[in-house]
Amino acid sequence: MILKALLFIVMTWTIIAAFVFPAPQQAIGDASRIFYFHIPQAWVAVLAYVVSMAASIRYLRKRQPVDDDRARVSAALGLLFSVLATVTGSVFAKVTWQSFWNWDPRQTSILILLLIYGAYFALRSAVSGYQRRARLAAVYAVFAFLAVPFLVFVIPRVLPSLHPSDSIIDSSGRFTMSGMTAMVFGCSLAAFTGLFVWMYTLRLRICGLERTGFEE
Amino acid sequence: MAMTSNYTVLAVTLIIWVGIFVYLVMLDRKTKKLEEKK
Repeated sequence: MILKALLFIVMTWTIIAAFVFPAPQQAIGDASRIFYFHIPQAWVAVLAYVVSMAASIRYLRKRQPVDDDRARVSAALGLLFSVLATVTGSVFAKVTWQSFWNWDPRQTSILILLLIYGAYFALRSAVSGYQRRARLAAVYAVFAFLAVPFLVFVIPRVLPSLHPSDSIIDSSGRFTMSGMTAMVFGCSLAAFTGLFVWMYTLRLRICGLERTGFEE
Repeated sequence: MAMTSNYTVLAVTLIIWVGIFVYLVMLDRKTKKLEEKK
């Protein structure tokens, strides 16, 4: 309960601080505050895909149903946070680049990721038999994750992009944020990560109840 | 006007967050009850 209260305090403070304390960027004004929510959402999506891949590898090695649950729940949360990052990014793009969708490398990459992980759930619903479904989904999740580093980290840096490349780390590898901006951004990363952990563990507990056929 | 809309967005975001938090707390409590019954 203490951790939940702490999460509530940190997230509430982050929301208030993001809208009140850091000075808005001169070029686009208050819309620049979306940054404090957009990047942590994308970070949590990548984290969720890492967890899904690790759980899938574990399932293939040990064949424990709980690992299949972990992979599935994490992929679902990754998809949810990817959608949130896409929506907040589109709003940001409308203000910054005058269009919701610009086929920017990052936008195209996250669209491909959404399709890849959408196909993961299509695969799960198309295969009958628990063990066969879990095995195929685990293999698919491992291969799906191979695309994540390329789509999230490599392609947006190799191809010319509308996204600023020095908003967090500059070309010499130094952290570009300072003061209140860095503090709000750090708190937002921590709060979104905490929210992901809570949603993930809660959904896993519900999966555990479902697996034992518990009915109220 | 710009400040007013900024605070409006802040209020809406806070309402959404409190809604999500309350929903998760209620779901957590219900799950705990079911786990204890098991």
